[in-house]
Amino acid sequence: MATRDPLDFDVGVEEDEDGAPSPSSPLSYFERDRHVAFFGMLYDLMPYHYQSQEINRLTLAFFTISGLHLLKALDRVDKDRVASWVLSFRAHPINQAELKNGQFYGFHGSRMSQFPPDENGVSVCNAGHLASTYCALAILKTVGFNILTIDKESILISMRNLQQPDGSFMPVHLGAETDLRFVYCAAAICFMLEDWSGMDREKTKDYILNCQSYDGGFGLMPGLESHGGGTYCAVASLRLMGYIEDDLLSKNATSSIINVPLLLDWCMQRQAIDGGFQGRANKSSDTCYAFWVGAVLRILGGYKFIDKIALRGFLLTCQSEFGGFSKYPRELPDLYHSYYGCTAFSLLEEPGLNPLCAELGMTDLAALGIL
Amino acid sequence: MESSEEDGGVPLSRMAEWRDVTPLRQDDGPNPVVPITYKEEFRETMDYFRAIYKADERSPRALRLTRRAIHLNPGNYTVWHFRRLVLEALNTDLDEELDFIQRIANSNSKNYQLWHHRRWVIERLGSNARSKELHLIKSILSLDAKNYHAWSHRQWVLQALGGWEDELDYCRQLLEQDIFNNSAWNQRYFVVTRSPFLGGLPAMRASEVRYSVEAIVVNPNNECPWRYLRGLYKDDIESLVNDREILSICLKVINTKSDYIFALKMLLDLLCYGFQPSQELRDAVVALWTSDTRPLDADLATAICDILEHVDSLRASYWIWRKNKLRIAA
Repeated sequence: MATRDPLDFDVGVEEDEDGAPSPSSPLSYFERDRHVAFFGMLYDLMPYHYQSQEINRLTLAFFTISGLHLLKALDRVDKDRVASWVLSFRAHPINQAELKNGQFYGFHGSRMSQFPPDENGVSVCNAGHLASTYCALAILKTVGFNILTIDKESILISMRNLQQPDGSFMPVHLGAETDLRFVYCAAAICFMLEDWSGMDREKTKDYILNCQSYDGGFGLMPGLESHGGGTYCAVASLRLMGYIEDDLLSKNATSSIINVPLLLDWCMQRQAIDGGFQGRANKSSDTCYAFWVGAVLRILGGYKFIDKIALRGFLLTCQSEFGGFSKYPRELPDLYHSYYGCTAFSLLEEPGLNPLCAELGMTDLAALGIL
Repeated sequence: MESSEEDGGVPLSRMAEWRDVTPLRQDDGPNPVVPITYKEEFRETMDYFRAIYKADERSPRALRLTRRAIHLNPGNYTVWHFRRLVLEALNTDLDEELDFIQRIANSNSKNYQLWHHRRWVIERLGSNARSKELHLIKSILSLDAKNYHAWSHRQWVLQALGGWEDELDYCRQLLEQDIFNNSAWNQRYFVVTRSPFLGGLPAMRASEVRYSVEAIVVNPNNECPWRYLRGLYKDDIESLVNDREILSICLKVINTKSDYIFALKMLLDLLCYGFQPSQELRDAVVALWTSDTRPLDADLATAICDILEHVDSLRASYWIWRKNKLRIAA
């Protein structure tokens, strides 16, 4: 079997007559300024192509703001303005009794699910959403707002309404799929609010464990194929909840609740011959899995095992000359892959980026001395 | 009977039937972040939707409006939820609703809300909907055999409504088309472990081992059957280590001296679990080592780690670490 030469990459920049790089070849280094411009442009105005994502507006805001922060470019952002805008998405109960009505008094994701109260002050419908709440809290922390000053009790008490008998979470009381993504959001919210009364932790843990597949990875629901995103949600949640300790592998610790060797081996096999990470066995490498799977490895203490040069090479083929990253090499960038491309470069410890908190998928504010 | 084709493109403000409704503008508040430059059709549709939603009007025109809104933003769970309320209020024919969802699915097969809505409809139709549903999912999988949502929905249908009888054969068909399809392997595991007709994993294990081995023979570099083999034993390590078929296939692949990485990995795991290798197996591994400068380590597990470090060099650091762990364990 031929040994792959780690230097066998075409990351050279071809030059045209004027000495400018030709657009068809990948740029050979992380183009921080172009990414800052990309996030900054979308922060100011998003083209209509994103209109179908209006319902997740707060998530879009999270990607731009947290992206800028990772790139150490948050000075472009008016922090107070952002904080008040985010806070305006908060769902407020009229009284304590409302907290048991099944609705979730977190944050809306968009004005599309948020309606002003009627003439009698009764809210039409409150559709606080777990993912939006995670994004809201993450944005607030990023811009320096102390989230412990908000009314966290109503978030945590009403969050319990969303937990299902099997331990999973529905993201919004209106009815939606329940899977590990929202378990993760719930765990991240409790972690950020420093209060676990929002969930039955044992039940949550049991649901997560039921999602571990026969091959060591985690599916998004029990029985489903192991998947990079599902595996991240599972492992990050368990870490946030304190069920697995930090950097397990370096401490030669064994976890009693998940099969770590099998998980580690599954994660390691996700790095493909092109250097990128795939989300599932025998699928194409995709930028975002450099974060989803990379972060799992970081949490376990196994990130040091990957081939960083190969990964970097792949990610650079997904880097766009317009700024941002695409899903696959040499395609147009989108906000989601741009954000996770940057988080992936932070995991690679690219100079000029802030360090990453792998469990929260954003800048490690604690490491920067910001709590 | 809805026909969005009639509505398509015509502004609602110019339609007589909407004259009595005052559209409700989105209040973005001062200084919104990530403002989106909505197209006019989108903005207008959602303004009318807001008005109807706030008034809680559950009428046929409201139903048509939700269809229009869904076409424009199929991810909007508020719209889907309201559509469900209207469907219930109007006691609409849910079979027609399935047709509607199917048309949307053609261009949105990876949309979570769509699949959730479908589940809601199926729950109301009950087991009569089962075979039609399994058939629909098959047609979606025929376009993309790895569509995660389709697989998730399929597992839900099987568990909620049954239909397990043909599922193992369906997996076999998919794997015949593409033996590398990990979704199909996963579904196979799902069926083998959960189908009420097959007797569970212990009863199925021997035949599934044979099936996996056949797949390995054809493509030893396919990760799926190797993982599947390991999965067939779950926590029953003793049985795993004693399975002669697994040892046999490892030896067979290693002897071909090509595409042997997964075979070596399996052998390494077996050794870590306490397997005692035969001389034949040792000789086969030694035959892979082509270095003149350095002899292979006497300990077989260490030797395998050294080989993997070179032939699976993308994961070289990992193999070095595993080798070091062997020393700690010893």
